[in-house]
Amino acid sequence: MTQILEAVSIVKSFGAIRVLEDVSVTVNKGEIVGLLGPNGAGKTTLVNIIAGYESQNSGTVSMDSRSLDGLTPEARTHAGLARTFQSGRLFPELSVAENIVLGGIGVGESTKKANRRALDAIELLGLGDVTSEPAGGLSHGLSRLVGLARALTADPDYLIMDEPAAGLNDHETPVLLTALESIRVESGCGMLLIEHNVGLVADACTRVFVLASGEMLFEGTPHDALIDEGVLTAYLGDATMGLHGGRA
Amino acid sequence: MIQTILDALSYGGLYGLAALGIGLVFGVMRLVNFAHGELIAIGAYLLIVTIDLGLPISISIAVTGTAILALLMEFSVFKRLRVAEPSVLLIASFGVSVFLQRLYEVIFGALPLSGQIAPWMTGVIEFGDTTITRGSLVTIGLALVLLGGMWFFIEKTTLGLQIRAASSDFQTARLLGVRSNRVIGAAFVFSGVLAAAVAFVLVTQRGSVDPLFGVNITILALVGTVIGGLGSLQGAALGGFAVGTTISLLNSFLGNYRIYTYTWLFILVIIVLLVRPGGLISNKAVKERV
Repeated sequence: MTQILEAVSIVKSFGAIRVLEDVSVTVNKGEIVGLLGPNGAGKTTLVNIIAGYESQNSGTVSMDSRSLDGLTPEARTHAGLARTFQSGRLFPELSVAENIVLGGIGVGESTKKANRRALDAIELLGLGDVTSEPAGGLSHGLSRLVGLARALTADPDYLIMDEPAAGLNDHETPVLLTALESIRVESGCGMLLIEHNVGLVADACTRVFVLASGEMLFEGTPHDALIDEGVLTAYLGDATMGLHGGRA
Repeated sequence: MIQTILDALSYGGLYGLAALGIGLVFGVMRLVNFAHGELIAIGAYLLIVTIDLGLPISISIAVTGTAILALLMEFSVFKRLRVAEPSVLLIASFGVSVFLQRLYEVIFGALPLSGQIAPWMTGVIEFGDTTITRGSLVTIGLALVLLGGMWFFIEKTTLGLQIRAASSDFQTARLLGVRSNRVIGAAFVFSGVLAAAVAFVLVTQRGSVDPLFGVNITILALVGTVIGGLGSLQGAALGGFAVGTTISLLNSFLGNYRIYTYTWLFILVIIVLLVRPGGLISNKAVKERV
């Protein structure tokens, strides 16, 4: 069985507006893949289709040779596909620890196992100081880290992360980078990283896809992407921007 | 004075139980279940028609029967309306409510059905110059045990955590894989159990049940859930308690003018909602694109 998350030849229109045109993305197990593109490129629509929140007009989504087409988002979660959201999407009245544990309980793990995984995720992402705080009071950046910890507690085979570094400070971003590498090595989880922080993508990913205006502009290594004339023009808008140009 | 305070606490506890029953279902489904009154009514009917079997058996039958009817409501009607707008759910619950009232009329008759459930609850206990009704003490004790039990279940168990998450943001809970039907079913069952407890207290006070038995307390408990903060379980219990306590205190202080109790109650309700439109404990569910 091929261990790969695949979205193949995805086409999506909203009414007369074509937002994705024959787009394909692959993520191997144990690989971190970046998905880049300017605002409105179709990144969120593509991951919504992969995670089952929206349906495509044509094309297929599969995980480890099993078709995911027609499955609800929760069925995909149970099948081993987790995702994080742009602003954490936490339960504000629940504590940070309860939010994180729910990731495991949601996929049917025992309380004991979910607690153990939650503790691992808390330690990995350095959230030990805020576990008893209500999630509604967290900063934007911390909310995203808690959302990531919650997704990890589900022990997914593949993880889609929607801008996990947005709102993180200079201290938190390296913690995230180390954590992603640790997750990749220890669990073999395949990760699709949607991110505007080009430096993080360059450091974390082995391959990147670059979307622009609903079309796949580039596939290759981060290094090649950042010296590609078309990518720089379409995505960065400034061909003179350096490799580790930070936030775009 | 002591009796006045105990009456207020017992009323508060009773309305707190009713409001929590409504709040549990609202939390996970955003359904204002007007048919909760008919759950209270069936609990009272079952208590009266089975009391000859002995109080413990009668209570067991009433609790089980009410919980089963709550689940039947969910499976036969509300489960089929999962994707419907809240207004559709509201009208459906009206329909279920009226249907069950007519059904009770056909089965038990339109006239009140009388029965003595626990006559010992109507007696008084004397402490020197002070007399206290046993009913008040039992109601306060029952409310404390059930609210404490519900608190433990909701705060300390895995299923309770899932109910709290679903009450906070049902869509996100589902996206995490939380089994929505299981959570909703549990909410209905516990709502039924709480309705049976309310039925026990009310039917021992009134001594009879009719098809509209649960309507009045359900409307006032709904007011309590709104005051407490729709979607917040603690808010529902607190709001129900506040409404019950206020009714009891107004009844006591207004004396011969107690016909104005509800006038004053709703003036206070409007003032509370003007000051805190989201209720005493508001639930700020997160909404964002996915």
